Amino acid sequence: MAGVKLRVGLISFAHVHAAGVARTLRALDQVDFIGVHDEDAARGRAAAKEHGARWHESLDGLLAASDAVVIESTNADHRRYTEAAAARGVHVLTDKPIATTVADGKAMIDTCARAGVQLGIAFPVRSSPAVIALREAIAGGMLGTIRAVRATNPGQYPGRWFGDKKAAGGGAVMDHTVHAADAIRWLLADEVTRVHAELGSFMYGLDVEDCGILTLDLASGAFASIDCSWSRPQTFPTWGGVTLHVVGDKATVDIDVFRQALTHYDDAAGRAKLVGWGDDLNTRMIGDFVDAILARRRVPIDGEAGLRALEVAIAAYRSAEMRRPVDIAAVRA
Amino acid sequence: MRIGVIGTGFAGAMHARSAQGLDDVRVTAIAAATPEEAAPIAEEVRARIESEPLALCSAKDVDLVVVATPTHLHADYAIAAAKAGKHVFCEKPLARTREQAEAIVRACEDARVALAVGHVVRYFPEYQIAKRMIGDGTLGKPAIATLVRGNFPVGSARAWYLDPEKSGGVVLDLMLHDLDTARWWFGEPARVYARRLHTGASGLDYAIATLRFADRPIVHIEGSWAEHAGFRTGFELRGDRGMLVHDSRAASPFLVQAPGGAGSPAMMATPTLAESPYRRQLRDIFARVARGDRPLVDGREGLRSLALGLAVIESADSGKVIEWRA
Repeated sequence: MAGVKLRVGLISFAHVHAAGVARTLRALDQVDFIGVHDEDAARGRAAAKEHGARWHESLDGLLAASDAVVIESTNADHRRYTEAAAARGVHVLTDKPIATTVADGKAMIDTCARAGVQLGIAFPVRSSPAVIALREAIAGGMLGTIRAVRATNPGQYPGRWFGDKKAAGGGAVMDHTVHAADAIRWLLADEVTRVHAELGSFMYGLDVEDCGILTLDLASGAFASIDCSWSRPQTFPTWGGVTLHVVGDKATVDIDVFRQALTHYDDAAGRAKLVGWGDDLNTRMIGDFVDAILARRRVPIDGEAGLRALEVAIAAYRSAEMRRPVDIAAVRA
Repeated sequence: MRIGVIGTGFAGAMHARSAQGLDDVRVTAIAAATPEEAAPIAEEVRARIESEPLALCSAKDVDLVVVATPTHLHADYAIAAAKAGKHVFCEKPLARTREQAEAIVRACEDARVALAVGHVVRYFPEYQIAKRMIGDGTLGKPAIATLVRGNFPVGSARAWYLDPEKSGGVVLDLMLHDLDTARWWFGEPARVYARRLHTGASGLDYAIATLRFADRPIVHIEGSWAEHAGFRTGFELRGDRGMLVHDSRAASPFLVQAPGGAGSPAMMATPTLAESPYRRQLRDIFARVARGDRPLVDGREGLRSLALGLAVIESADSGKVIEWRA
């Protein structure tokens, strides 16, 4: 395989992660970053220029040149881009959540399966060396039986379309629940059975929630909570974070995924900022996806994982509306 | 004021010691389950040993009884003290059951004696500053708050904590501090949802609760007896104009290292303050009682916080959202 590169295109710069993905695609040895398409041509053209990538006016043109694409569109556009790629026999790595509805997520999985292409979901938390070490510790029995997890994935309000219900499918729950829900499923090799949520729109005057606490029951009998709130103020020293407090019979473990950071007291910015020095999780995550495609292996995080995490978010909305816990089976298509 | 203390565990010993040097206050008698248990603290604070706790409740040389026994015994001693005309300072939770707590409140009201409940967090400066910043609008309107409180499995040190019928487990013993704090900061919640472990012989006990206030905020609380590194507290309080963060582990001005490793975790990491919150609490209670004023956390207030703890347990056990009526 030495010297063989995967031709990867990037669809849309709607998402805040897109610029980072473009840098990663350019940097990865095993990737031939073949270009960019964007439904917003002006934005796409500028981004292509900035990242030294070829601009494709037509989606078909980009797909024809690609073995795989990374989708960084609005959440609501994931389905149409995935279906276009699958129709062209192009593999897909889409940012999370997989889609804004369970039906869309399921359709994406089915379409890709029928087309014989792989569908990967961007859950970079799984690429954290700390999270991987915890998974190995759990699998090795170091924690005993896992009883509870308190997870947080708070962030600053990302702006753009993230507060637009139609484009994003919701607010903080849609944006941040899925990372923690996926990490919990993956770490514990467990499934969510029931979801309770309290949500509120308290800080930014949005039609969607900016605060949320979810409580999950798991098939094993363990329980978990997720704080998905856009609760980080603009003066917070970084965008947000991901933490896991894991209680087992034999040990309690705290994970702070982005703890490896310097504190920069920046007079020019008028505040302190964190400068992360840990591994770049997106590089590891995209690299693992590309390696799996090149080796014709199953991608490490597939559409099913994306759908399971989305179901938790959808159940949270229903729970908040009904003011009672909701069985995950009730939202499964 | 002459003080009698029943119970010489963490709380009883703390109160007996904290009362030393307070103006016009003297600890005169100490009782515990056995006279032998009472002896070391009695000797330390130069009080007499009362071999029978019930006798202490009506002793002639006692004006105020501090009830710091295991939780399920609070009602017996608090009611006996009230009936003997003594003021009562009862550790939290006020009692193990709502019925017991109501009986204590009634007995103290009938006897026209003061009843104070030991929700000491209200005397911790970091929590008082948060209260002030909520009240004066510095943080804007509260949106979401998370409060955490943990300790090692304390049942491994004192067996009565292991029995939920006696202690109420981590929810009534530890999480109750933050349930009381949530009420103090934000008023009465509208509903409660919670999950918890069931206490086993290992002493591991862990619970999470989510409180929803009618409009706002959402409050998430963790109570843990799985914090093997020792006692810790923290909160994160977000209003629409800012956020306030407290982490006890990051707030100690005094760290010690010694050969032989970390050693056993301290039962409680008391903040290094000239006057501890426990002593501030005692001084305030004694002063109010002497003036004939209501204690800051009186029986009704202690009863409501206990009831909220019981609602957390009810939700965790039933899997249902509990609508809260204070």
